[in-house]
Amino acid sequence: MEGLQQQQQQSKRNPMPNNEKMTKKNKKNNKTNKFEFCKVCNLNHDQGRRHIYFPNHIKSLSSYLSRFHKKLSDVRFFLKNPSLLRPEHAPRNRLWCVFCDSDIEELDSLFACGNAITHFASAEHLKNLNYFLWKYGGGMDRVDSFRISDEDVSKWEKKCESLKSFASSSSEGSYGPSLGPWKDIQNKHCCENTDSNEKNKVKSFKFSFSNSVLPLQCSTKERYQVSHPETNEIASAGLFSYNATSLPLSTEDNMHNWGMHLNKSTSMDLTASTCDPVYSGNQHSLVENSWKCSVDWSLSSEGVDRMGNGKSSNHESKGNVHTGAPPPWFEKNEENELNFQVDIGSNTNSLASSSSKSRMSGKLNPKRVGAAWAEKRKIEIEMEKRGEIVSSSCDTDWLPNFGRVWQSGTRKESRKEFEMEKHKLLKVECLSEGTIKLQPYISKRMRKDTGQFEGPADCS
Amino acid sequence: MSFLLTTLTKKREVDSIIRDTIDKVLVLRFGRASDAVCLQLDDILGKSARGVSKFATIALVDIDSEDVQVYVKYFDITLIPSTVFFFNAHHMKMDSGTADHTKWIGAFHRKQDFIDVVEAIFRGAMKGKLIVCCPLPPERIPKFQLLFKDV
Repeated sequence: MEGLQQQQQQSKRNPMPNNEKMTKKNKKNNKTNKFEFCKVCNLNHDQGRRHIYFPNHIKSLSSYLSRFHKKLSDVRFFLKNPSLLRPEHAPRNRLWCVFCDSDIEELDSLFACGNAITHFASAEHLKNLNYFLWKYGGGMDRVDSFRISDEDVSKWEKKCESLKSFASSSSEGSYGPSLGPWKDIQNKHCCENTDSNEKNKVKSFKFSFSNSVLPLQCSTKERYQVSHPETNEIASAGLFSYNATSLPLSTEDNMHNWGMHLNKSTSMDLTASTCDPVYSGNQHSLVENSWKCSVDWSLSSEGVDRMGNGKSSNHESKGNVHTGAPPPWFEKNEENELNFQVDIGSNTNSLASSSSKSRMSGKLNPKRVGAAWAEKRKIEIEMEKRGEIVSSSCDTDWLPNFGRVWQSGTRKESRKEFEMEKHKLLKVECLSEGTIKLQPYISKRMRKDTGQFEGPADCS
Repeated sequence: MSFLLTTLTKKREVDSIIRDTIDKVLVLRFGRASDAVCLQLDDILGKSARGVSKFATIALVDIDSEDVQVYVKYFDITLIPSTVFFFNAHHMKMDSGTADHTKWIGAFHRKQDFIDVVEAIFRGAMKGKLIVCCPLPPERIPKFQLLFKDV
C-alpha cells in the first residue's frame, strides 16, 4: 500500500514529464506566436518582450528618439523666446508627438508652438511617455527630457503675456520690425527683429544658426532649389531689385520635410535678416561671399529648376553652360593624367587593393580580434611603403600571442613561461660545460624543471 | 605537396607572415613534406587556398628546419601535421572536442570541412572571440592522444 502511495506521489510530482515539456514548449510558442508591431523598428515581430533588448531595436530606438529630440529642442527654443504666431503660418506648424501618436496643430494659438508647449507639459503626454518608455525600453530616467516642466510653462506664459501687452499697446510702427520681413518681399528691408527670423528658420527648417548653416538669402524664382548652404550665402543689398516672389530653402532635405509652401514666409525673413551686415557674426563671412556671387545669380536665376551644390556658384563666376565655358573636369583632367602617368607603373595594384581594402575596412568590426594591432600595423606598413620608417625587422625574439596547451594563466604568461624555459635551457647548456662535480647535481634539477615546462620533444 | 602554398623555413619568415596578414585568418601548417598525412592535408590546403583567399592565407612551415624549432617548442607541437590559426597576430583557439584547443592536429576528411573550420574561425575573430567552436561533427574530427608532458 505504502509502495503504491509512494508511486502515486511520485507520479503526481512528475506526471507525464514528456507532456509537461510539450506544454511548456507550447506555452513558449504561444507566447512568441503573437505578433506585435514595433513602431520604433517599423516591423512586426513575435519576440514579445525580448524584442526591446535586441541591438537592432536599440539602435533604431536611439535614432528615433534623437530625431524627436531635435524637434523638441526647436520647441524649447520657442519656450525661451516666445513670439507671435501669424495666422498664415499656423497651418504649417504641425508637430507629431510620437508618444501620444497625435498631431499637434497650432491653428488657434497666438504664439509659436503654443499648443506644442502646452501639450508637452500635459499629464496625458506624461502618461503616454511613460507607457512608451516601458514598452520600447527607452530608459525610464529620460522622461524629463521629453516633456516640458510646469515651471517652464509658467515662465513662458508670463513672457507671452508681456509680449501680448506690448504688442497691443504699441502702434503699427513697432509691429513693423517683427512683421516687416514678412511683408517686404520686394523691398527687403533690414530686419531688426532677428529672433523671429531665427525662430522661423529653426522651426521650419530644422536647423539653427549654431550649425552655421544658413538658408538662401537671395531672392530668386519660386521653386528654385539650392542645396548647398554656401551658395545660399548670397545676399546683399544690391540684389534686391528682383521681382522674385519667394526664396528657395537651403537644403533639399528640408524642402522635402516641410514642403515647398514654407518658402514664402521664411524666405523673406532670411533675406531681411542677412542683408544687415552688422547683424551677426555668422553672417560676416556670408556677406563677403555674397558680393562675389551676387552678379552670377542675376545671370542664372531664370529658367533653372535646380542648382547642384555650392560649387556651381563658383563655376558661374568662371563661366557656365550658358556662356559656353568648358566644364571643370576638363581642366582638372590634365593634372590627373600627369599624375596617373607617374603612378601607373607602381601603384595600380596598390590602388586596386587599397580601394578594395577601404571598401572592406569601412565595415570591419572594431571589436574584432586584434583590431588595434591591425590598425597599428596598417599604419606601419603605409609608412614603410612611403619610406618614412625603415622596415623595422622585428627582433629575433618576437613571439606571437599564443595560448599554450598546458598553460593555465593568461596568454601573456605563456610567453613569459616560454622565455623562462629558454633561459633555463641556455643555463643548462652553459653549466653542463662546468665541473664534473656540479654537473650531475644541476642536470638532475634542470631535467626536473625542463620536464615540468616543456612538452615532449618527440616530433617524429 | 602543393606548390601553390608558400613554405617557410625561417623564424623571420614566419614572424613576417604572422605580422603582415591583417584582417585575414592565417593558417600555418607545421609538418613535413614526406609524411603521408601531411601530404593529404597539403592537398586539401592547396585546393582550397584560392577559395578562401579573401579571408584566409595559408602557409606551410617545415618543422625540420632549425630556425623554426623555437616555434615548434612554443606552440607545443608534438604531433604532425599541426595547424595553428592566427588572426591579426593573435592566436585563435578552436574547441573541437579534443584535448588540444590550440591547434588542429591531423588532416581533414574533406575540402569543405577545412573551409568550414576556417570560416568558423573568421566569424569568431570578427566578433572578437579568441576561441571558437568547431562546426564539424565529431566523426569527421581526427582523433589523437595527447600525452601529458613527460609521460
